[in-house]
Amino acid sequence: MTLTAPPPAATSAPAPSMSASPTARSMWRGSRGVILLGLIVVLVAALTALLTGTSTEGRRLDPADATLTGGKALAQILQRRGVRVERVSTVEDVVRLDGPGSLLLVSDTSFLDPVDFTRLSRTQAHRLIVGAVPGLEVLAPGVAPAGAAAPRSREPRCDLPAAVRAGSAYLGGTAFTGPRGSIGCYPGSEGPSLVVSPGARTVTVVGDGAFMTNQRLAEDGNAALAINLAGVRPVLIWLVPPDLPQVTPGSGRASAGDLIPAGIPWAVLQLGIAVLVVAFWRGRRLGPVVVERLPVVVRAAETVEGRGRLYRARRARDRASATLRAACVSRLTPRLGLSGDATPNEIIAATALRTGQDAVWVRSVMYGPIPADDAGLIALAGHLDTLERQVREP
Amino acid sequence: MALTGRAGLIAALGAIGVLFAPRPGYAVLGLLLLLGALVTVDVLFAGGVRPLRFRRGGERLVRLGESVEVELIVENPGRRRVKGTLRDAWPPSAGAGPRHQRLDVPAGERRRLVTTLRPARRGDRDAVAVTVRSLGPLGIAARQGSHRVPWTVRVLPPFLSRKHLPAKLSKLRELEGQHPALVRGQGTEFDSLREYVVGDDVRSIDWRATARRADVVVRTWRPERDRRVLIVLDTGRTAAGRVGVSPIPAAVEPGPRSGAPAPAAAGSPRPGTSASVAPERPHVGTSASAAPGRHLGTSASAAPGWPRLDWSMDAALLLAALASRAGDRVDFLAHDRTVRAWMSGASRTDSLAALVNVMAPIEAELVEADSASMVAAVLSRAKRRCLVVLLTDLNPAAMDEGLLPVLPQLSSRHLVLVAAVADPRVAEMAAGRGTAELVYDAAAAEHLRGQRARLTARLRRHGCEVVDAAPDDLAPALADAYLSLKAAGRL
Repeated sequence: MTLTAPPPAATSAPAPSMSASPTARSMWRGSRGVILLGLIVVLVAALTALLTGTSTEGRRLDPADATLTGGKALAQILQRRGVRVERVSTVEDVVRLDGPGSLLLVSDTSFLDPVDFTRLSRTQAHRLIVGAVPGLEVLAPGVAPAGAAAPRSREPRCDLPAAVRAGSAYLGGTAFTGPRGSIGCYPGSEGPSLVVSPGARTVTVVGDGAFMTNQRLAEDGNAALAINLAGVRPVLIWLVPPDLPQVTPGSGRASAGDLIPAGIPWAVLQLGIAVLVVAFWRGRRLGPVVVERLPVVVRAAETVEGRGRLYRARRARDRASATLRAACVSRLTPRLGLSGDATPNEIIAATALRTGQDAVWVRSVMYGPIPADDAGLIALAGHLDTLERQVREP
Repeated sequence: MALTGRAGLIAALGAIGVLFAPRPGYAVLGLLLLLGALVTVDVLFAGGVRPLRFRRGGERLVRLGESVEVELIVENPGRRRVKGTLRDAWPPSAGAGPRHQRLDVPAGERRRLVTTLRPARRGDRDAVAVTVRSLGPLGIAARQGSHRVPWTVRVLPPFLSRKHLPAKLSKLRELEGQHPALVRGQGTEFDSLREYVVGDDVRSIDWRATARRADVVVRTWRPERDRRVLIVLDTGRTAAGRVGVSPIPAAVEPGPRSGAPAPAAAGSPRPGTSASVAPERPHVGTSASAAPGRHLGTSASAAPGWPRLDWSMDAALLLAALASRAGDRVDFLAHDRTVRAWMSGASRTDSLAALVNVMAPIEAELVEADSASMVAAVLSRAKRRCLVVLLTDLNPAAMDEGLLPVLPQLSSRHLVLVAAVADPRVAEMAAGRGTAELVYDAAAAEHLRGQRARLTARLRRHGCEVVDAAPDDLAPALADAYLSLKAAGRL
């Protein structure tokens, strides 16, 4: 007996079971490449971060800020020259330090309200205002912005000693028009970008504070100009925006987030952990997903149905009627006792005789013209059925 | 490793504690550490899965449509009790159940688990893996691992047509003369002499023997024996077409879980999976029978039926059973482009068992059958004249280019019987009347039937016998054709 397809090995001893789960060693072998790659990525990222330094956004012209836009360098130079630099964030502090021997440096007034501007304008301290800040008309009466000027290195072109001694400096930003008696320096096409109004208290307005930043201080005469402007009084009151908007409960300015008890975010975090644990519980399959090659599912009648749809789509009444007629004739001939090669006339005559129908009608049904429309085709199919039935049961 | 619902419950209840804790951040950290510690302890004290030893036993053969039990013996050589869940994974069409079983094996003992298979289709089903999840003493975490425990169950053809066997055997006995009716065939063999009884055909009186003895003696005849029947099964693309209504219900996913692993139908252009078909079947059966007048294209579109190959196998099995009882030798060849299976020389008693065994793994290949190669294979294997029963489809396009040119080589040396499964759906379509769609479909169906009729006539002109019957009738029709050939002594 020869068998091409072998039956299952019924007689051989059952093969021993073996574990299919990965061992710790095989898991380490399989994943060490990935782990190594991850370590390299982390190492490179850490090195890059260390080498390029922090890329956080600095606070512009803040005496405590050491980034490129900060003002720590200028503050330290001034302190070394004996100027007392006071970094303040509130108008109260400004009023407390106020006096004829002090200079108020303002570069950002966005956190102040009109009342604050009025209080500031009443102080005795000399003023150095950087940029066309809101409230400029209150803090520096008579000085108004006249247009934009590109920040670049400019020549003093004026008699102001501080500017003349410093020479060219990186200025621009905004051009101003000063009140009568004021001195305008570092002019552009629109006007000077540094205006000094002398009086009981000197008010100096500069169009741009870039020359005082850590980045630009070492260029041109920037440092000299900054020291000449900011270091002329024993006390420098440096007004900067507060670190964080200070909100106290009950003040009416607390957001919804401030009112949530401290435990709730942590409880949400704990719930998140619970969701992860549940996900791991439900997501762990008991064993592998089993795949199987299944035999193709094709219905044998699909080709016939496709042919029927083609007939219908093209309204192929000629072919459909010819096929139906041929099938009817092939079924009728043996029943009528005729041979397979009987002529149409013989078949028509025999059918008419057997059924008692009119021979002309029988001819029109069995060998007549192609139906003109679908209704005609349906009728033809019905007539053929009638003929067949009458031949079968005369 | 795996977690249980208890771990999730601890983490979720912990959220309430965190809400009221004075230092919620530390509470979260503490809970995390506690959970980690509990899981670690549980995993450490859970029974080991890797050292478990498995053995299988039970049946290796099952007839399609019946169920079989395969037992799994789990032996725990470790020092800790293994308690938890076990999954014995089989391919989806094996219909294995239950999906999950509880497992509790004390240290050093063994337990026997039983998986019941109810296969949905023929072929070899290999066990995939045994996965054990061993819970720790706290029931918070578990160890999990898989083992390969090889076992194969061969699903045999169902041989549904065996219900026709008694009727055909009694017909056969009539032929053999064991029945009161005596048949005198032209080509039958001389059996013995016996005394004349009234009613015997006078033409069968042996005058020479009558002269020797004082009594009238007649010759008795019996059909010739030890003829050869070669069943050739075409496993080409036409055998894959589904016909009729499948007698085997599609696999129903056992177990309560609906998230069954989806079987990937790799060889199938349609996503026809055993699991997805199951819920539709009863609905289709009722709608198709209750609404004969509705549009036929939709009613049958969901019912996949049974492949021609399986209907052909059913008919072949009935023929083989009948032929081996009649004393003929049955050989079997399955062929598409190459020989898929070949069985020869099985003894009469076990030829049927050998045949189902050979047939079981055969699937239809989606290639055009190579008739020239098939004829060559038959001619090289069958030296003596035999009855070649060719189970194929009367597909006009395939036959014109494939079988018909090479058929004379075969029919000149052997008696050829071509058996084909007709599609009842085509007959149903041919009777469609009333709307334009149905009439066009009827015309298409008549077109195919006309082609088949012409093909049948051509085959008969070549001297072949042709059996073209609906799926349910093919097996008895083929048996009848064989019996009539045998009665006529044409084997």
